Amino acid sequence: MRGRVLRAVTRTVLLEHLRTPEAVFWTYGFPLVMALVLGFAFGEGRVEPSRVAVVDTAPPALVEAIDRHAEQRVMASTLSPAEAHRALTLGLVDLVVSGSPERPVFDLDPMRAGSELARLQVERALLRAGGLVDPGAASVIRPVDEPGDRYIDFLIAGLIGMNLLGAGMYGIGYNVVMMRSNKLLRRLAVTPMRRGEFLAAFLMSRTVLALPPPLAILAFGILVFGVPVHGSWLALLGLILLGTLTFAGLGLLVASRARTSESVSGWINLVTMPMWLLGGIFFSNERFPDLVQPLVHAMPMTHFTDGMRGIMLGSFGTGEIAASALGLAVVGLVSFVAALRLFRWS
Amino acid sequence: MSRRPESDTGPAIRLAGLRKVYTTRGRPPVVAVDGLDLTVERGEIFVLLGPNGAGKTTTVEICEGLLDATSGVVEVLGLEWGRDAERIRAQIGVSLQDTRLFEKQTVAELCALFAGLYEPSRTVAELIALVQLEEKANTRYAHLSGGQRQRLAVATALAGRPELLFLDEPTTGLDPQSRRALWDVIRAYRDEDGGTVVLTTHYMEEAAQLCDRVMVVDHGKAIALGTPAQLIAGLGAAHVVEVRAPGLAARVEEGVLGGIDGILEQHAEGDRLHLSVTEPHVALPGILRAFERASIELDALTTRHTSLEDVFVHLTGRQLRDGGES
Repeated sequence: MRGRVLRAVTRTVLLEHLRTPEAVFWTYGFPLVMALVLGFAFGEGRVEPSRVAVVDTAPPALVEAIDRHAEQRVMASTLSPAEAHRALTLGLVDLVVSGSPERPVFDLDPMRAGSELARLQVERALLRAGGLVDPGAASVIRPVDEPGDRYIDFLIAGLIGMNLLGAGMYGIGYNVVMMRSNKLLRRLAVTPMRRGEFLAAFLMSRTVLALPPPLAILAFGILVFGVPVHGSWLALLGLILLGTLTFAGLGLLVASRARTSESVSGWINLVTMPMWLLGGIFFSNERFPDLVQPLVHAMPMTHFTDGMRGIMLGSFGTGEIAASALGLAVVGLVSFVAALRLFRWS
Repeated sequence: MSRRPESDTGPAIRLAGLRKVYTTRGRPPVVAVDGLDLTVERGEIFVLLGPNGAGKTTTVEICEGLLDATSGVVEVLGLEWGRDAERIRAQIGVSLQDTRLFEKQTVAELCALFAGLYEPSRTVAELIALVQLEEKANTRYAHLSGGQRQRLAVATALAGRPELLFLDEPTTGLDPQSRRALWDVIRAYRDEDGGTVVLTTHYMEEAAQLCDRVMVVDHGKAIALGTPAQLIAGLGAAHVVEVRAPGLAARVEEGVLGGIDGILEQHAEGDRLHLSVTEPHVALPGILRAFERASIELDALTTRHTSLEDVFVHLTGRQLRDGGES
């Protein structure tokens, strides 16, 4: 590795990116907009009242009992039996009620959690209407919206992971293939620059470019939503840096042979899709079936999001953090070495 | 200033029995270079001339280390690619056919990039001055014209003070003024730096104007080698008379040109007749009298010196037309 070669290439790649305004938007603007939208959509919302259809052939007392005693937790409408069933099939209502207040008949889809909830709410309203004591009257309910327990606290780590994956796949993978397809790599191949120097310079410049967006997302979460960081800041920043390098290495691997934008797009999808779905970006991956768990735990994204959340919640000890870091580092190192061996200039 | 060590006196390039066969699955193999022997001496401008698909680029890219030869000997500056790749790369400069550089970098930044890859190297200011792009120094690559891009490509090729410069079709698509400007850069490199140039082109005029020696290549084989003057002299005719008249070829078939002194070769097709003559003032009166006798009305009659184009036509029976020069 020769310093002047690394400097020359690094500088060029950095400038080339910073002079592409749309790329700057997609790396900074997009994740912040996403955090804002998802944070508010899932953070501030109330549970919608259950939607229930009462058939118009039932005694009026049934509708009255539900309306008066459901405490706004049920929104009842009166429909003909045929319309009511249609509304249920289309998902416009969760439950169809017929019969009488004393002996209600429920039509519902047992697979829908919303239907079960609506049935419980209606049953409770009817109990109260019949003068019975509400079994839940003595319960104490404490709403949870403390920082650390909300969806946005979960989401920030996922958004950072997603951003780093994108930076590796598109910032590196796609860009290198474009340089190959317009023969720029061939021009560089006839200079005394070594393959390793080129890859290292590319990796360095893209790492410099990839680091600010995660920090911006993190700062955004802390300032706008009060997302807490309970664990070590040093560990958190270290994991972000390691994640950047790992996904960058994966990007180089994806770009090592592909010659056209079509073929590299295929590779990028192959790598990206499973990680978006199973990597714990938007939802916890612990509830996936046992069959896919080995895949879940082999993915660098899982190590990254688990480690980030563990550090942010303060739930991970040193050993667990080290395990996540090691999982990431192995994937990153293997990718970089493989890319170095497979890489072609043309 | 050349950094050539005193001891390096061998040829710049030596190719012997060079063959390159492209094999694609499901198709018959294509022989791009078919047994080429070639020695390029140090300090000369050597031109590979031939139509598109003749194997020029393949030959040059083998010399540049971008392609592997199927068989044959390849020595560049006395070194071999298999053993001394890095040393060769440090001593050659290359301008490839239709390469694009980084779109959003300026001329000065691109020169700095390539200068950064060589040790020693020229300064950015030197490189820009060499190809006279001072006014465009801060213009981004995306906004340069075709001629400016080609000049910049040559500047990047000169960044490492190379001993050997490869230019693959450097002037294709350029206007005559840009083309002459590039010729000046190439001549200056040879004259002032003592460098060697290997250049491919399908422009006859370029070969004639620029080169010390030319190799005419067709279908992967060398069909002629020498200075332009030698090749032209080899035809034995210094001048060409071209005549145009309706249905001329048919009349020539009838033998209207029989018994005229000084015609070495004749070639007629449609309305056109192409005569090689040693001395126009000897041959022309006879030719004109023959047309008068046969009552052929001429649309045009021109005489000119024999060119490399005529050499190519003589050797292959085809015009080297695809360059748009004719």
